Amino acid sequence: MMKLNLWIGLLLIGILIGLWATFRIYTVGFSLYAKTDVLVWTLPLSTYIFFSLTSAGLAFVSSFPVVFGIKRYEVIEKRTVYLELAVLIGSFVCLILHLGSPLKVIYILLSPNPSSPLWWLAVLYCAYFVLLLSAFWRIHTGKISKTLGVLIFLIAIFTSTTLGWLLGMTDARPSLNASFFSFYFPLTGLASGAAALILFSMVSAQLSGQGVPEEKSALYNEFARLMGIIAGMVAVLFLWRTISGGISSTAVEYSAFKHMIGSIPYNIEFWLGLVVPTILMLSPSIRTTVWGKVTASVLLLVGMFAGRLEFVLSGVIRPLGQMAEGRPEIVSYMPTVYEIFVALFGLSVMLLIYTIGERYLKLETIPE
Amino acid sequence: MPRYAMVIDLQRCVGCGSCSISCRNENNVSEGIYWSHKITETSGKFPNVRYHYIPTLCNHCTNAPCVRGCPTRAMHKLDNGITMHDPKKCIGCRYCMINCPYGVIYFNWKDAHPSWKSGNSVIQGVTSSPAEEVRQVGGKGIPYYNPERNETLPGIRSKGVVEKCTFCDHRVKEDKLPRCVEACPADARIFGDLDDPKSEVNQLLGKFRPFRLKEALGTEPAVFYIRDFSAAGYPRTKGGI
Repeated sequence: MMKLNLWIGLLLIGILIGLWATFRIYTVGFSLYAKTDVLVWTLPLSTYIFFSLTSAGLAFVSSFPVVFGIKRYEVIEKRTVYLELAVLIGSFVCLILHLGSPLKVIYILLSPNPSSPLWWLAVLYCAYFVLLLSAFWRIHTGKISKTLGVLIFLIAIFTSTTLGWLLGMTDARPSLNASFFSFYFPLTGLASGAAALILFSMVSAQLSGQGVPEEKSALYNEFARLMGIIAGMVAVLFLWRTISGGISSTAVEYSAFKHMIGSIPYNIEFWLGLVVPTILMLSPSIRTTVWGKVTASVLLLVGMFAGRLEFVLSGVIRPLGQMAEGRPEIVSYMPTVYEIFVALFGLSVMLLIYTIGERYLKLETIPE
Repeated sequence: MPRYAMVIDLQRCVGCGSCSISCRNENNVSEGIYWSHKITETSGKFPNVRYHYIPTLCNHCTNAPCVRGCPTRAMHKLDNGITMHDPKKCIGCRYCMINCPYGVIYFNWKDAHPSWKSGNSVIQGVTSSPAEEVRQVGGKGIPYYNPERNETLPGIRSKGVVEKCTFCDHRVKEDKLPRCVEACPADARIFGDLDDPKSEVNQLLGKFRPFRLKEALGTEPAVFYIRDFSAAGYPRTKGGI
C-alpha cells in the first residue's frame, strides 16, 4: 500500500508539473517550446503519435478474440481494452498541448473540411473514444460486445492509416510523404501496442506478488514471440525506408532524413528499439523469462518513442522556401524543458488512469 | 468574378525591400513574421560569383495544399482566387505550415509586437518607453497601427494562430492595389485579373516566358516571375577542353 501511495504521489507530481506547464504555455505562448517557424512539429506531437499508434496497436491485439475468434486471448481482453483507453487519453493530453488554440476545436464540427485528413482523424478519434468507453463498460459488466470490438478494430485501422494519409499529403516534404506510411504506422503501432501490453501485464503480475499465473504463462510467451516477429518485420521495413529514402534517393528534399540517419533518435529506434528486442524475443530461453519480456518490451517502447520523434523531425528540420532565408540547410533541435513536461504530462495521466484501473477495476477478470 | 494574380519582374526589381516594409505597415505584421519576404541565392565559384534575389509572398495557389489540409476551413479560397485565413476558426495545428511548399505561413508563437509592450525607457525620465509611445499616439499594440486591416481580418492576430499574406484583400475589395504593389518604386510588381485576356498581367505573361516556384508540385501558384536582372555580357566562346 505504501508503494502504491508513493507511485500515485509521483504520478500526481508529474500531472501537477504538466498543469503548470500548460498554464505557462497558454499564458506566455508557444515560444516556450524549442520551436522556430521551421520546427513547427516537435516532441509534443511526436509523443501524441507514439501514444495514438500504441493505442491503435492495442486495439489490434484486443481484436484477436473478438474479431478473429482467437479465444485464448480473452483472458487479457479487459486489460488490453483498458490500457488502450488510458493510452488514448494520454495521447489526447499531448495533442491538446500541441494545438495553439485548442478551444476552437468546436469548428471541426461547425466548419468541417472533409478533404482534410486531419478533420477525418478528429472525427475518428471522437468515435474511437466513445466506442472504447462503451466496450470497456461492457467488458467490466461481464460481457464482450462483438459489434463494438469490430467497430474499434476498423476505427483503429482507419486512424493509423489516416495518419499515413495526413503525412502523405505533404508533397513538398517527401521524408513524411509516402503511402508506405499507411502500412508502416499500423505495423509499428502493433509493435508498440504489443510491447505495452506485455510490459504492463508483467509488471502488474510481479507487483501483485503472485507472479504470472500458470494458465496465462504460455499465452504471454506466444505473444512475446509475436512481438519479436513484428519488431523484426518493422526492422526490415525500416531498413528499406533508410535505403530508398536516405541512401539511394538523389532528391534534395530527402536531405533532412539523410541527416537523421546519423542521429541519436534514429539509432535508438533501430538498434535498441528493433534489433535487440527481435533477437531477445526470438530466443526461447530469454523469451520465456519475465525479465526478458520486460527488457524487450521496454526497449521496443523506448525505440518507438524515439522513432516517432525521428520521423517528425525528418519532415521539418529542412527549411522550405522563404523559411530557408538566413537559416542553415538543416536546423538543429533540442527539446525544451516545457516540451519534456508535456510528454511527461501525457505519460503521467496515462499511468495514473491505468493504476486506478489496476487497483479498482479488476483488470485480470475474464469476460464471458 | 476576377481571378487575381501577380507578376514580379525580376529585371525591374532592385531588391530594395519596400514591398516587405510597406506590407508590415499595412498589415500590422509582428516581428519575426514575414508576409512579404525574399529568397537570396549565390551561384558560381569565387571569383566568378553572382547574387540572385527573388521576392516572395503567399502564392495564392489554385490547388492550395494549405486549404486542402485545414480541418476547419480557417484557410480557404475566396471567389477572386485569394487564399484567405480566418483566425477565428484556426485551431493552431500548423498543418498548413507543414503542407505549404513555399514556407510563407507563420505561426504566432507569442503575443504580437512584444517589443512595443516594454515599459522600460532607454534613459529613465528622459525618453519614453515603447509602451508609453504606443499610448501617446493612440495606437493599438503598435504606434503605426493600421485600422483598415481590421476590416476583413483581426488588425493584429493573437497568439496560437497562423497568418500569411492575403494579397491585401481589404484593399482589393475597395479596388485598390495590394500595398506592396503600390509601394514598389521600380514597378516590378504587376497585379491584375488572370481571367481578363487584356489585363496587364496577361499581357506580360504572353510577352515573356514566366516561371512559378516549384511548379512541378502542381499547386498552380498565382504569383508569376518574368525576366531576370543581368547587366553582364561575355565574350563569344565555345568553351575549351
